[in-house]
Amino acid sequence: MTSLEAQGTAASGGIRFLGARRAYWRLLMRGAALLMVTLGIYRFWLATDVRRFLWANTEVAGETLEYTGTPLELLLGFLIAVAILIPVYAGFFLAALDLGTIGQLSGVMAFAALGVLGQYAVYRARRYRLTRTIYRGLRFHQSGSAWRYALRAILWWSATALTCGLAYPFQLASLERYKMRNTYYGDLAGSFAGSGFRLFLRGLPMWFAVIAPLALTVGAFIDVVDWNALGDALSAGGDDVMSRIEGSNPALASVLVFAMLMAGVAVTMAALLYPAFQALSLRWWSSGLRFGDIEMRSNLRTRHVYGAYVRFLWTAILFCIVLTIVGVPALLAVGALAGNERAGAGGEIAATGILLVGYVITALGFSTVYRATVLLSLWQLGMESLQLSGLSALDRVNTTGTPSSALGEGLADALNVGGY
Amino acid sequence: MTFGAGIYFDGRTSARHDATVTLAASGLQIAGRDGRLLAEWPYDEIEGLAAPDAVLRLGRRGSAPLERLEILDPQFAAAIDVRSSYVDRTGTQQRRQRASVIGWSVAATVSLLLVAYFGVPAIAERLAPLLPSVLERKLGDAVNMQVRGILDTRSAGAAFECGTADSEKPGRAALDKLVRRLETAAALPAPLRSFVVRRTEANAIALPGGQVYVFRGLIDKADNADEVVGVIAHEIGHVAHRDGTKAVLQAGGLSFLFGMLLGDFVGGGAVVVAAKTVLQSSYSREAEAAADAYGAELMNKAHGNARALASMLAKIGGATEPGMKILLDHPETKARIAAINRMAGARPTSPFLDAGEWTALKRICAG
Repeated sequence: MTSLEAQGTAASGGIRFLGARRAYWRLLMRGAALLMVTLGIYRFWLATDVRRFLWANTEVAGETLEYTGTPLELLLGFLIAVAILIPVYAGFFLAALDLGTIGQLSGVMAFAALGVLGQYAVYRARRYRLTRTIYRGLRFHQSGSAWRYALRAILWWSATALTCGLAYPFQLASLERYKMRNTYYGDLAGSFAGSGFRLFLRGLPMWFAVIAPLALTVGAFIDVVDWNALGDALSAGGDDVMSRIEGSNPALASVLVFAMLMAGVAVTMAALLYPAFQALSLRWWSSGLRFGDIEMRSNLRTRHVYGAYVRFLWTAILFCIVLTIVGVPALLAVGALAGNERAGAGGEIAATGILLVGYVITALGFSTVYRATVLLSLWQLGMESLQLSGLSALDRVNTTGTPSSALGEGLADALNVGGY
Repeated sequence: MTFGAGIYFDGRTSARHDATVTLAASGLQIAGRDGRLLAEWPYDEIEGLAAPDAVLRLGRRGSAPLERLEILDPQFAAAIDVRSSYVDRTGTQQRRQRASVIGWSVAATVSLLLVAYFGVPAIAERLAPLLPSVLERKLGDAVNMQVRGILDTRSAGAAFECGTADSEKPGRAALDKLVRRLETAAALPAPLRSFVVRRTEANAIALPGGQVYVFRGLIDKADNADEVVGVIAHEIGHVAHRDGTKAVLQAGGLSFLFGMLLGDFVGGGAVVVAAKTVLQSSYSREAEAAADAYGAELMNKAHGNARALASMLAKIGGATEPGMKILLDHPETKARIAAINRMAGARPTSPFLDAGEWTALKRICAG
């Protein structure tokens, strides 16, 4: 906690997380209940509560962060975003009615335009969150052009997709460089020193573990399938396509079984390795952050990240047991209501309502468990694993920057690309 | 308790000032270690800010530099809380705000549902006739392409439409004859385009812009030409009411209302889909009942036998499964038949086709 004795700031130090897990649980559970009652409108209040909690309980060099954003700002940003998106959606709706090339391309164009807009929103939302982050009486802020960022992000995403993910580390590094180059704490400029190539080398074994089964499958297809015969079978038309495909390629069935098996292996690998990759990239990312002379080093342990997921699994299982105990009588009630001819439409509406509420409770429950275990742990682990040096710079930072609007947050919310 | 320790940030630099805070009559006086006055905040300009539980963090309302004062001593913090109305340590103000959020969101939900149930169909009803027919035709062509993509399997190697081969021409002529008689009675603003298509289901559909597809399964199942005519009259009802266009407008309106304004929370997607399905089924049930009424009326006007539509429905309409009423897009068959029979006129009727023409129509897909 804050010490009254020290006049200057110690040159190096760590970050402490002071938040109590129980308080966070309470906040999330109340939020989930209110989300349901308000059909989601409460999300602006919940997001603000969560950020206030996380920021206020993160202590850097003896002083905690402060989040000053308000729910009404988020609500207003969302409404502005809706106002902007209505004509965009209406335009795509009309374009889709066109029979010519415009109509055929409208789907692709809509996808591309919304992709760019989503990345634009990501950058603007980051600006909003930074300018609402106060530390020692000064705010963070962000310069740079959100459109330029969006263009850069889309190009990188395309590269990542074309290279089956191999370009992803370079994408992270490039985008993070752009973000941090434009990030300031007061007049202290940020930068990013992480190297994409390093992350690439570290991540490569994991990439192979996931991609190899898929590559084997593609190889098997090329090797075994007689493409000419298959093409003939498909173009002949008629009802018995399946039997003709089988006739043209007797080995196809076994290749398909192999493909499914390999897809299963790849998915399992990806799920098992995901926490390790998350730990790797979090460590890499936070070690690359710079503010003036302030440098950071992360010693995040991979097994701690796995621990967070194990805790999630346990809590989720517990939640499932509770759901079963409550859910079975509810399902019986639904069956009785829907099957009763005399209950009529009223009974049916009640049954549908119960099913719907049950579904929403289940989905919200799992999301709450995930936020209270994995997300909170990642925040806490990520922060507490940091060692900061050059902190004496904190004694002489000057104020600059003004708060920005919450439009980016609103767009991100409407387009479903929001972060914390 | 009028003195206490605090940590002060002046909002201009990040330097930390250990301060002595004095509770004066009208406000806080913040002085440095050396006794120099750093700031003076009137009580009504002080606000409490987000901080860890053990810390009271204060700021000055409306001040451009983000001045901050942190108090660690809980008793001294309580003394400040008492004097300043914008310091909300107990969370009373927050609770009040939360209650008003809940109240207004419930009001918003109710108004949304009312608009979805009454407003959206009413708007579609008023808007559909205003759409220029060029746009409606375009919409119809777009829908037509999709419908053909789904229905036209081309598996038998024959054309999707019947009535094109030489042996099918008499059937086509019979179809044209009965459609012409209906069309004259209906006096539609735009010409109809009707086809028999190679599908085995007993059904018929109307697309925006006046296209009617009669499935050959319907003709196979009909006992006489009037039963086919009855169903076509029902479909002309959809064309006259512009139901296809309305359905597109309604779907768009509902997607917008629910998808955009609500639904962006976990599990919300299911609520949106369920609400849309139930509401669209309810719109559709109304449209079907109206098309039945129109069809019966049109049969009366064309001196046809309106009861033929009812007897055809009795053959093709399935029984209602229990538990499916609110998801049904047609009203219950029994109720439809009763309603149509009530509307059927008592005047003598004349058949639409003679026996030879009816045989020709039955062979419209023979080629």
